[in-house]
Amino acid sequence: MDELELLKRDWQKKDKQLPQLSFDEIYKMIWKKSSSVVKWIFFISIMEFLVPHLIYLVPSMSKNLAVWKDLGLGNILVISNVVQYSVVLFFIFQFYKRYREISTLDNAKKLMSNILKTRKTVKYYVIFCLSLIFISFIVMAVGIYLNEDPMTALGYGYKAENINPDKLKTTLVATVVVLGVVVTLVMGCIYFLLYGILLKKLNKNYKELKEMDI
Amino acid sequence: MEHQFVTELECNQNIVHKVCTLYTNDRDSHNDLFQEITIQLWKAYPKFRGESKFSTWMYRVALNTAITLYRKSKKSIPTQDYESVMFKITADEYDPTEEQQLKLMYNAVKQLGDVDKALVFLYLEDKDYREIAETLGISEVNARVKMNRIKNKLKTILNP
Repeated sequence: MDELELLKRDWQKKDKQLPQLSFDEIYKMIWKKSSSVVKWIFFISIMEFLVPHLIYLVPSMSKNLAVWKDLGLGNILVISNVVQYSVVLFFIFQFYKRYREISTLDNAKKLMSNILKTRKTVKYYVIFCLSLIFISFIVMAVGIYLNEDPMTALGYGYKAENINPDKLKTTLVATVVVLGVVVTLVMGCIYFLLYGILLKKLNKNYKELKEMDI
Repeated sequence: MEHQFVTELECNQNIVHKVCTLYTNDRDSHNDLFQEITIQLWKAYPKFRGESKFSTWMYRVALNTAITLYRKSKKSIPTQDYESVMFKITADEYDPTEEQQLKLMYNAVKQLGDVDKALVFLYLEDKDYREIAETLGISEVNARVKMNRIKNKLKTILNP
């Protein structure tokens, strides 16, 4: 293709027209902060690891923990906490390992694949957290269903005097289940949207490179 | 160490500028990408052991930054003053048809996807297929096949 050869000749003569930065200008740049995708993934992931745990520090949330005990679900809570923290630690370790593997010195395909793998670790973590949130709502619903006086357990005993207990129970169970579905879906949407936008370009380029080798 | 790094980068900065020229459309984005590549090069510098030439090592980090790490790909319209820098031909060999042809070619290359651009960039820099394949992580045969496809793609863009 003659045009490409023409372009190549012109391209190689281009040096004179390119901007030239001085030593000082470049020197200043190396201390600036990077805005790379990897850095964003790192920060967002750390946030995702932390946020579910920060929620427990909010006073009203710790009050909610007492509700679990009153519903007779205290033991389940302890066990689920032990499981949850072991799994979280496992994920943090995996994430750190994957993050360390990312190197700009790898070829483009390997670099992209490593970034996507790191992101996948966090994705599994989020799926785990979302399932945990959903399951805890379901367990709570079951707890309410099996409890003789759920309103008192929930701390609203004084309001429930004139309401049919069966009807109340059904309404409570339904509310908790619906709330569980809504919270899980909303959090899931936020997460997938965040990474979808962040990694759109990378995903597209990775797919293209992979297709080249088929 | 930073003194040595900056000196080497200053001498080889054309490579980074060329990558930026291909992947951005205005001066702000150009500078932004240049800065990101510089940061990534500096971060990777401790691992540069001088086994290859500094410039060879730069190609990989610069392209990786452009096609993988750099997030902001503003779809801005090329500005007039930036365009004129890109397509200027030195006065002594001025040839209107050739200039027109070059302008069309640059525009066509700009329309390619990120990965295709990387291939074209390495081709224009006179790298052989082995190096192109290694930089992108594909096989040499596939790099050749892909380059032929890009040539056809460019032909289609030029003669729709």
